[in-house]
Amino acid sequence: MAGFRESLRDVVRQLSFRTSVDSLKKRGVQQVSVLGLDRITALIEAAVHRSLKAQLVGVERAAVADATKAEFLRLLRTNEDLQRQKTASEQLRERAEEEIDQLRRELLQQQQALQQRLAPGEVAAANRHGQEDAAIVAKVADVVRSLDAGTGSQAIEQRLIELVMDVVAGERHAADAARAAAGDREVDQLQRRIKKLTENLGATEQRLQQLAAAGAIDAGISSIYRTVQGLDAAAAQVDRKKELMAAIFQANLELQNKGADGTGRR
Amino acid sequence: MSETKKDGSGPKKDHGVLYIGMDLGTSRTSVSASNGVRETVYSVVGYPKDVVSQKLLKKDVLFGKEALEKRLSLRMYKPLEKGVLKYTGDAKMDAEAKANLKAAQDLIGEAIRLARPRQDELVYCVIGAPAEASVKNRQAIVEAARAHVDSVMLCSEPFSVAYGLDWLEDVLVIDIGAGTTDLCRMHGTMPEEADQVMFDIAGDAVDAELCRRIEQTCPGAQFTVNMVRDIKERYGFVGDAAERCIVELPVDGKPTPFDLTDQVRAACSILIDPIVKGIHKLVASFDPEFQTKLKSRVLLAGGGSMVKGLDTAVEKAMRERLGSGKVVRIEEPIYGGANGALKIAHDMPADFWEQLR
Repeated sequence: MAGFRESLRDVVRQLSFRTSVDSLKKRGVQQVSVLGLDRITALIEAAVHRSLKAQLVGVERAAVADATKAEFLRLLRTNEDLQRQKTASEQLRERAEEEIDQLRRELLQQQQALQQRLAPGEVAAANRHGQEDAAIVAKVADVVRSLDAGTGSQAIEQRLIELVMDVVAGERHAADAARAAAGDREVDQLQRRIKKLTENLGATEQRLQQLAAAGAIDAGISSIYRTVQGLDAAAAQVDRKKELMAAIFQANLELQNKGADGTGRR
Repeated sequence: MSETKKDGSGPKKDHGVLYIGMDLGTSRTSVSASNGVRETVYSVVGYPKDVVSQKLLKKDVLFGKEALEKRLSLRMYKPLEKGVLKYTGDAKMDAEAKANLKAAQDLIGEAIRLARPRQDELVYCVIGAPAEASVKNRQAIVEAARAHVDSVMLCSEPFSVAYGLDWLEDVLVIDIGAGTTDLCRMHGTMPEEADQVMFDIAGDAVDAELCRRIEQTCPGAQFTVNMVRDIKERYGFVGDAAERCIVELPVDGKPTPFDLTDQVRAACSILIDPIVKGIHKLVASFDPEFQTKLKSRVLLAGGGSMVKGLDTAVEKAMRERLGSGKVVRIEEPIYGGANGALKIAHDMPADFWEQLR
């Protein structure tokens, strides 16, 4: 019985919510009545006991008490399940966060590697081409000067340079194309890897958001009613209230039927 | 009891039944629920102005006080005006009207979320709405709520206040909201048009009057209507002042104390005359045999009823103009409508709820 009382106290504590005096004042509450946890627990226990005593006898009472206890334990187990689910989603979230960090680091490394590949290549090629041009021009000029010809030698030199440059440019173009193709393959591969990593990162982040959202979803607070209630037959002015309920319902039925023309009711 | 949504989707609703009573007001929206939750939120909705503010705020929509605090980064909407949605149901609605409708839908959704319903419980909701709201307007409220609950009904706001207190006969309810003041005569049946009086001298009108008076009498004082509303809610009174209203307002950036006692009293007093005129009209057109009883059962409700001394001032004015009067302020002005709506939800028979699902 002591264990049951302790469990009851825990449940009352879990179902209660905290609020501040300022918050109460803002809601217009000037005075509050305070009831201790032990007193609430004792009242619930006493009420259940009184109710059972008043309405039930013998075996029936024991059966109802057992059923109540079983229901109470079921609720407790539900609560424990929820706690376990909460812990599991927290672990999932931590794992997803680690994964994201790892992916981010990999992405950064790949981007840096690509940058290193692209940047020096262009400068080196320009230097190399300049040196080759100068060497060719010098060689042709030497050849022409060595010829002991009279007039028209300059024209011949010019034509010879153009000719050689033309040939060399063609060769150079082919070599550049081959180099570029090799580079492109590498760049393409790096870009594909980056794309894949980016997609993975996006997917993992989305998963993390979903997990965070799931974690933020409030399980809610249980209503005090297990079934639909309706007017208590012993309520004051019960007949008048029944008429009023019917009038409210009728007005709403008409209103919602009009609305159903456009949107339809579920 | 084991329930699912009619299309078979969604979680099983076999845990219980949550009743929610909602007071959808111009200034505040309050909810009371059968799980013990009672919450109120300012009826303002804010959406991030751009991607940068959305990233910063980490939310697609903000409500109430949080929206007011972040309003510089938000497109702000106050979806209710003078007690009704800023929505006409006109097919040629402009973008602003559509945005207000969306804001109203989001606000109703937020109010229901504040009630913290469980996914495995049936949720039945009664919303107190002004009797003057158009059919399209009320349908918009129902549709907005439908997305979040299993079944929903609307009822007249003053009626729900009276029902919540079990005062169903020969009682006159005065519901002072932000946009409108509604007077409703109850005589044991659903109130009809002739039983109701509505005018727009209410909380917002008091704020405007207080702004005007501060402007006139406090040169250099800088303030916004939100600051003025806070002053009214903190100090609002009529009659004799229990304390001086010493308020700090910035003057050229420097906080400067001002005594606003007279201004607050004068601004709040604009409520008295139209209320007494409304009472007079409803009493004079009531069955003569029951007029005295009606005068002695006047209920003051709504956020505006928190103005200190208002009950006494209305009683005094009634004695002068109608010979007698007894005014009772309800205990919880902010939650009076929501509590009443919750009680209606509880008392509504199961088959009525089922038929509206």
